[in-house]
Amino acid sequence: MSASFERGYNLLKEMIDAPIASYLSSCVRCGMCASACLFFTETNDPKYTPIHKIEPLRKVWRREYTLTGKLASWLGLAKPLSDEDLADWQELLYDSCTLCGRCTMVCPVGNDIAYMVRKSREGMAIAGHAPAGVVAATKRTIEIGSPMGVRLPAVKVQISHVEQETGLEVPLDQEGAEYMVLLSSMEIINFPEYLSALARIFHQAGKSWTICSEAFEATNSGIQIGVGDLAREIVMRVVEGAEKLKVKTVISPECGHAFTALRWDGPNLIGRPYTFKVQHILEVLDELRLAGKLKTEGFEAGRLTYHDPCQIARRGGVVEQPRNLLKMVAQDFVEMSDAGTMNWCCGGGGGVSANPDAEAIRLLAFKRKKAQLDELGPVTLVTACANCRIILEEGLEHYQMDVPVVGLTETIAAHLVESPHFSPPLPNPLPHTRRPDGLGTRVGEGTNALSPLGRELERGLAGEGEKP
Amino acid sequence: MTISNDSEFKAALSALAPAQQRMVAARFAENVLSASPDPRVSSALQAAKRADITEAELAAAVHAARSASVASYTSCSKEADRQHQASHFVAKAALNSVMPAAHGANRAWEAALNARMARAIASGVASDNSEAQQQYRILSEFLQHRGQP
Amino acid sequence: MSDMALLIWARGNGFQLALGIFLLGMVLRAFEIFSLGRKPDLSAARENSPGSGWRTVWSRSIPHASTWQRTPATIVLGYVFHLGFFITLVLFIPHIQIAHSILGISWPGLPTPLVDATALISIVALLGVIVHRLRDPVRRFLSGFEDYFTAVLTLLPLLTGYLAFHHQLLPYTLMLAVHILSVELLLVFMPFTKLAHFATLFVARWYNGDLAAHKGVAS
Repeated sequence: MSASFERGYNLLKEMIDAPIASYLSSCVRCGMCASACLFFTETNDPKYTPIHKIEPLRKVWRREYTLTGKLASWLGLAKPLSDEDLADWQELLYDSCTLCGRCTMVCPVGNDIAYMVRKSREGMAIAGHAPAGVVAATKRTIEIGSPMGVRLPAVKVQISHVEQETGLEVPLDQEGAEYMVLLSSMEIINFPEYLSALARIFHQAGKSWTICSEAFEATNSGIQIGVGDLAREIVMRVVEGAEKLKVKTVISPECGHAFTALRWDGPNLIGRPYTFKVQHILEVLDELRLAGKLKTEGFEAGRLTYHDPCQIARRGGVVEQPRNLLKMVAQDFVEMSDAGTMNWCCGGGGGVSANPDAEAIRLLAFKRKKAQLDELGPVTLVTACANCRIILEEGLEHYQMDVPVVGLTETIAAHLVESPHFSPPLPNPLPHTRRPDGLGTRVGEGTNALSPLGRELERGLAGEGEKP
Repeated sequence: MTISNDSEFKAALSALAPAQQRMVAARFAENVLSASPDPRVSSALQAAKRADITEAELAAAVHAARSASVASYTSCSKEADRQHQASHFVAKAALNSVMPAAHGANRAWEAALNARMARAIASGVASDNSEAQQQYRILSEFLQHRGQP
Repeated sequence: MSDMALLIWARGNGFQLALGIFLLGMVLRAFEIFSLGRKPDLSAARENSPGSGWRTVWSRSIPHASTWQRTPATIVLGYVFHLGFFITLVLFIPHIQIAHSILGISWPGLPTPLVDATALISIVALLGVIVHRLRDPVRRFLSGFEDYFTAVLTLLPLLTGYLAFHHQLLPYTLMLAVHILSVELLLVFMPFTKLAHFATLFVARWYNGDLAAHKGVAS
């Protein structure tokens, strides 16, 4: 038993908690999880059955945490987990699982299989059985700050481009701003329109925001590969940046796994709750919509549908907001089958798209999304995850489908009424008191006479957050 | 007509008819073509520059530019390569030129922006304004000669 | 040993032994699960979540539409078997009388001919489950010795009970003894095999629902 296999085995053992023990006790091998997994449904290969993917974890559980398992191994009746097993399981745990969590939703005994895959990856990575592409991405994140090797100069190229295009300033390292915007490397490299859209939206809404030069990266490939220590370090950069700049809310960009890593895993990785809020950009946009700060005009031509990124909808709870936002700019919005928390994965998340070994299976699995789109006929596909977007475009290209794909934030921004001093109509007359303080005051400070909505509107009217 | 800033630039582009926008947008993209090794991009641009392009040829150009654009995305967590990334924005500029822009936006302006992005990425310099200057010149020349065959 | 002696042992010492092993085994299984603990979740929970652990405990019994389409056999056979088993076990008057003599409580039962029919349907459904497991590629791929062993363990009480009731196969006293022994065999293996799911699934569903609810999703 090599040193790294032993560490992997021990880490698997450490990962097993009461939930996992209850899941493994309850599995009756009904196989219904297979019918929920696009890697099985599009290949009909039983090895892609989700519960089978965590067989190494189950072996460790049985041997270490059950009386019968201990007896069986003592009597030589059960083969222990081996390094060969882990090597064999690399394909199942990394190439054919995006942590989409659909299996978790259908298991009749309630098993959270995606959770168990995530935990299994910790052992796999330490034992040296994670895909080279994702390992390299994690190394780059630690050493450079981004999984794709994006450094601040590259971000500045994009910022300069955005400032040119919009005529608006992109604030850098502004202390006391309400929002700290994170970008995933994907947006920086491929979708500068996301940052343009944000600049215009925040300008119209009168919100103060900033990018942090030391913590602009949202992607956490430490999570995807399954190395908690590295994932923690990556989260800490964001935490330190946000606390140094004293921002109220950190905005996770249009990237599914970045949201999961920051919003749900982050505090548990660093061992304490955050002192700031974390929201997905869709949540922020919907709040602005509710506060009347998003004024749009016109409608998209043609039919629109929405692909729910798994980490944002099913594993993140952001389901209604994108629909509320889309209905502002779409008259012909149609849902695909299984829309919402049961939507089908694009097939590329959770490190799969960074894994060249997985390309063939990923394109096969895309047939599930293709089938959903075929049912709808001519339609434009809107989504809110940069990785989903590229995976969708690649899949559509592969299957020669003529379906345009657009991002949600940029679609909203494209319909903004571009008025520099826009003020929404007030629902009731509110006392117009001048605020004594400047930008970025914390919740609870300032006037108490106004309701939270009133304070927001009042700040917008006072012109805070706009260019001087 | 001299164009010396983006306001004049945008205004002049907005005044153009769609076919004219297509042809000038293609020229913006062509100016950064050295950043893209993809033959689909150059073939799309050759078609887009022509005044006598047919519907079928235009559709083929759209298809070529879109394929090139999708192929040049950098996948999530793959190591970014500046040249590869720049080539993506050349392809996007080409796509802008052959496709109508969304919500009444100006396709030539979008193409110009993407071409500038391609140049900035290729050079690695954030505040490289040289491409904008070249685009003003290209537009001026285009406006001067457009009456002629 | 005479038939009567066997029956007396099965109803007496045998039952106590089996029940004791069952209870100890279930306590052990509970300990094996809960002693591992669960780290508290330090991320901020969503307010007004549509889901909860308790909700998923019952809602997970309702299959999602897409799984109905894809695995109708698994769902139908599984449900018919489980419901039938439950009805036969809990709503059969002689079983209720046994419970009353042990626990002192009683509840209304169903007419015996109805339970009789239900038992037969359950047997057929369970045989269907076994056949499905052998023939369907996914089920077959996943299944091992334990799956078939526990299926037979579960079938025996149903089958022997049915035979005893109808005075078939063996002389009644012996058939009844065999039936009770088969129940005891089932009890002994329940905590140590996947059959423990009859209790642990509520825990699993609760954890599943609780984590999803934290994120604002009803699972």
